[in-house]
Amino acid sequence: MHALIGENGAGKSTLIKVMTGVYEPDEGEVRLRGEEVAFASPLAAQEAGISTIYQEVNLVPMMSVARNLFLGREPRRYGLIDSTRMKREARDILRDYGVHVNPARPLRSLGLGAQQMVAIARAVQIDARVVIMDEPTSSLEAREVETLFGVIRRLRDQGIAIVYVSHRLDELYQVCDRVTVMRDGAVVRVDDMSAVDRITLVSLMLGREIGDVRTHGATGFADAEHQVKGAPVVAARNLQRRHQLDGVSVEIRPGEVVGLGGLLGSGRSETAKAIMGALPLDGGSVEVGGTTTRRTVAASIRAGVVMLPEDRKAEGIVPSLSVRENIVLAALPRITRAGLVDRAKQDEIVDYFMKRLRIKASSPDQRVSELSGGNQQKVLLARCLCLDPKALLLDEPTRGIDVGAKAEVQGVINELAEQGLGVLLISSELDELIEGSDRVVVLKDGRVVGELTGDDVSQDTLMTTLAEAPPEPDLGAPGAPEPDTTEEERHD
Amino acid sequence: MTDVAVRPTPAVLDRNRVVTWLQDYGVYAAIAVLIAINTAIKPSFFSMDNFRVQAFQVVPVLIVALGMALVITTEGIDLSVGAVIALSSAVIPLYLGYGPWLSIVIALVAGCVSGLLAGLMVAVANVQPIIATLALMIGVRGFAVILNGASAKSVTDETIGALGLDSWFGIPQEVWIAVVIVLVVAFVVRRTAFGRRLTAIGDNRAASALAGLPVKRVLVAVYIISGLLAAIAGVFLVGHGGYADPSNYGLNYELSAITAVVVGGTPLTGGRIKVLGTVAGAVFMQLVAATLIQNNVKNSYSQMVEAVIIIGAVYAARGRSGR
Amino acid sequence: MALTSKRRTASVVVVAGTALALALTGCSKSADDSGGSSPTGGAAGNSAAAQQVQSTGSSGDSCTYTTYGADKIDLKNVTVGFSQSESTSNPFRATETQSITDEAKAQGIKLIQRNANANVQQQNTDIQDMIAQGAKVLIVAPENSDGLAPAFAQAKAKKIPILTIDRTVNGSACSDFIGFIGSDFAGQAKIAAQDMAKALPDGGNIAILQGTSGNNVAEARTDGFTKEIAASSPNLKVVASQTANFDQATGQKVMEQILQSNPDIKGVYAENDTMALGAIQAIKAAGKTPGKDIQVIGIDGTEDAVKDVAAGVMFSDVETNPRFGPLAFQALTDFYSDKGTPTNIIIADHHFTKDNAQEALDNGDVY
Repeated sequence: MHALIGENGAGKSTLIKVMTGVYEPDEGEVRLRGEEVAFASPLAAQEAGISTIYQEVNLVPMMSVARNLFLGREPRRYGLIDSTRMKREARDILRDYGVHVNPARPLRSLGLGAQQMVAIARAVQIDARVVIMDEPTSSLEAREVETLFGVIRRLRDQGIAIVYVSHRLDELYQVCDRVTVMRDGAVVRVDDMSAVDRITLVSLMLGREIGDVRTHGATGFADAEHQVKGAPVVAARNLQRRHQLDGVSVEIRPGEVVGLGGLLGSGRSETAKAIMGALPLDGGSVEVGGTTTRRTVAASIRAGVVMLPEDRKAEGIVPSLSVRENIVLAALPRITRAGLVDRAKQDEIVDYFMKRLRIKASSPDQRVSELSGGNQQKVLLARCLCLDPKALLLDEPTRGIDVGAKAEVQGVINELAEQGLGVLLISSELDELIEGSDRVVVLKDGRVVGELTGDDVSQDTLMTTLAEAPPEPDLGAPGAPEPDTTEEERHD
Repeated sequence: MTDVAVRPTPAVLDRNRVVTWLQDYGVYAAIAVLIAINTAIKPSFFSMDNFRVQAFQVVPVLIVALGMALVITTEGIDLSVGAVIALSSAVIPLYLGYGPWLSIVIALVAGCVSGLLAGLMVAVANVQPIIATLALMIGVRGFAVILNGASAKSVTDETIGALGLDSWFGIPQEVWIAVVIVLVVAFVVRRTAFGRRLTAIGDNRAASALAGLPVKRVLVAVYIISGLLAAIAGVFLVGHGGYADPSNYGLNYELSAITAVVVGGTPLTGGRIKVLGTVAGAVFMQLVAATLIQNNVKNSYSQMVEAVIIIGAVYAARGRSGR
Repeated sequence: MALTSKRRTASVVVVAGTALALALTGCSKSADDSGGSSPTGGAAGNSAAAQQVQSTGSSGDSCTYTTYGADKIDLKNVTVGFSQSESTSNPFRATETQSITDEAKAQGIKLIQRNANANVQQQNTDIQDMIAQGAKVLIVAPENSDGLAPAFAQAKAKKIPILTIDRTVNGSACSDFIGFIGSDFAGQAKIAAQDMAKALPDGGNIAILQGTSGNNVAEARTDGFTKEIAASSPNLKVVASQTANFDQATGQKVMEQILQSNPDIKGVYAENDTMALGAIQAIKAAGKTPGKDIQVIGIDGTEDAVKDVAAGVMFSDVETNPRFGPLAFQALTDFYSDKGTPTNIIIADHHFTKDNAQEALDNGDVY
């Protein structure tokens, strides 16, 4: 069980691609069980027993779960696919992974976490001797992560080698035996996991001294509480949406970072989108600066609310546009006169934010898709900030970006709050949520189940709150959690 | 990069470079090659007279293709352009009594209204573009045929005839107008907020919506522009042919336009537009047709040649996006 | 909420569509105030222009309802179906439809009809629809010779006789269909070729504008023409032979190209009149005079083309007589009598030249 870590751009992905036959090395060799091998294609690597699970799920969304699981090696009977057997086996296999779904359902009807599990199950089924997992947990819930770790340990006991790539240090310490740290395309350390403590690990990845890391804090957030003053800049009241939100109310005051805590599917992203006007509601109201806004994104932006979406690729960047065009995308109405884009104004804005957020791009003309995840995220943050907002809704602002960029983004959030912005922070990382927020509103199943303030803003109280919250007994009622979660939880 | 650095192997690199080059400049090179070959076969090919003939034939396709390129940039497609040409041609003889200019204006308005219908179906009712415009393609042509009384009508008006036949300074009036349209479209795409939104929406609609872009308005506008441009093409066709025949005018123009767009390097997946490439795509397809007809190649072979070109263009486009 | 917004959308689309329709039809005003478009089928009933039988094949080829295996019926008591293949924007089609309709009305026969607008699949559907509607006899103007097998098979299974007109279909007469009434396309082309020889006594290069590829009429008109030229006019040379889909705009486009590559061309043979008209437009645009620099010969005998013949713009035009009504219903009547109808009725087509064109126009013999 081998951990492979490093900042974005350290060369992890390239290394994986060499191992799996996507690229050919210019020099050097790849050995499998002591023998030198050269894979001409990913398929050859797969046949040799190396299977890979990528960050994005690479399956066929319209096909059934069972078909996906057995794609290319379906059980046959009289030359035809034996679908009864396939479904039965699929059900058994997936049960081991904690996914209790009808295998006849199309894959896309499953939650992202369950889909990821199917991908993992599929990879392991292909007689793998080496399984490479590239951030397998990034879309999984805590409980699913536990299940996955169970699976991983079982695989390890069966003698299967696992290369585990993750940004989540906790996970590495939980499951990995050894670790390889990479930086700038080179290996900087290979050691037993237990021989390297967290701070060492971080400093190895960043290439900075331990002291630096400590003074910056683990998350980049200053500990000091922010000066919260005045009436709420955003007041969302009793937001209702069938299956997703059941009367959520949140207030954000100027200078305040409000954390939104909860597990996957608890309604955090939906709350943010609802405030933004990007999600149709069945009921409830949103006031910005004391007046009710029209429920469209454009109206919310005009009123001073902006959002950093959770899914950077799907909802954030416009990949083939340049960095410059991406930054000013939402600000077009402000820099346009008679339909024409004012180039001087545009460049001024882009310049300022590229410097302020330290966006690393060869030029503002570079396509945004060529940037690293962290820089893409900064571009999106710039898009939000150049709108001169009063309130900032951040949905997983540091997900999938490297440690350095993460600290920078967190620092910026902190600064913004100090300047009097109201911030809503959604994060699956407890450290980030706890250290970053002045106040944490805890959601479960689309409902507010608690609010942590002052000294109560801590990991322990948050987990207790989540644990204490009463389970939802009536599954059919409006406000019940999403169907996927429902089905999976019912079998627990 | 240090010692473990890897690069894709040189062979792959070269192929990518070739594909990229073909994508960017292939059409222009192909045009040059075609002109060279034709001139070699028959020096008179390289004459103003011949270029004028090609210009008259290419302009309507080119104008329609520009609208199509805009629609394709938004991840859409407009199959109704051929029918809009028919509609525009049907309207002209109907209102010629009020003078040529008013009848032209009414024809253009009709094109816009058809585009508006397409846009509303796509943007507001969320009908897939291919379905919405397919419905219009059938419906609008039917309507055009009814308007015109199911028979071809000759149009002898001088103003309209001049648009389709006469020249200013030795260059057809159609061409001057087309040049203006190309410049306007290129300007809109490059310099205006609308152009920026167009590409953004085609590239990532969800992100554009979350950034507060007026997605619906842009979509409706794009289909209206496409309808307007098709209507202009219809006016030119009436002028050039001297008659209006809604049953046959604009048949297969949607396909010619899509071909020009694809050959010009605009991906069907949206998010990117090549205005000059589209012009070149249309010119190239015209020159291919001219080469085949002028050298008396059998029609069945001509069709196969065109098919090969389309496949080649799509392959080049795929090669690039697949990287 | 979602529902209302969808409904609102739907109504917006409907309202906009209706507005378009109303706006465009509301106050139209065409250029010629003389009473709008004259339906080109106007000459359909003209007796002088009626189809004359030229030949009926050998006398033994006679078909009756008994040999066909159909039930005896009285035409006056049943519904007859007519399937037109192409849009009536073509005067030939308009006149053909008009003639069939007029004759049915004159004889008091109930007629239903469909137009497939050049789509052979549509024509299959049309025929099947009319059978379902209760048509007991069918007159079909086929779109092409091969594509109608499904509909014909269904008709045969239901013992519904089909009379084919103007184009042939593959199959055996008096079994798959009653028979065929129409022109001798190769014969028309032969006349056109002879005209070309007359028009260009000194010989020269000529071009052919062909009909739609794969269409049997187009093929017959190409073969008939090229064979006759090869046989009797060695000084005429076909330098370009390109399809223009029987369409005027395409004819114009193709002719423009041919004039570029072959500026020395002396004659154009167009396999129908609309292509001939397109060619004339192209010749004029190239600064040449049709009828003087370049001789144009067409087929079909439509009014516009015959006017051009009279004016000396076109050299000659061979008619394809579309007035099928009287002969078609006569054939059906004979089919249901003991006498029987010939299975291959070739009509005598007019031949318009400068000598008789004006007269034919004055007499209203041209469609």
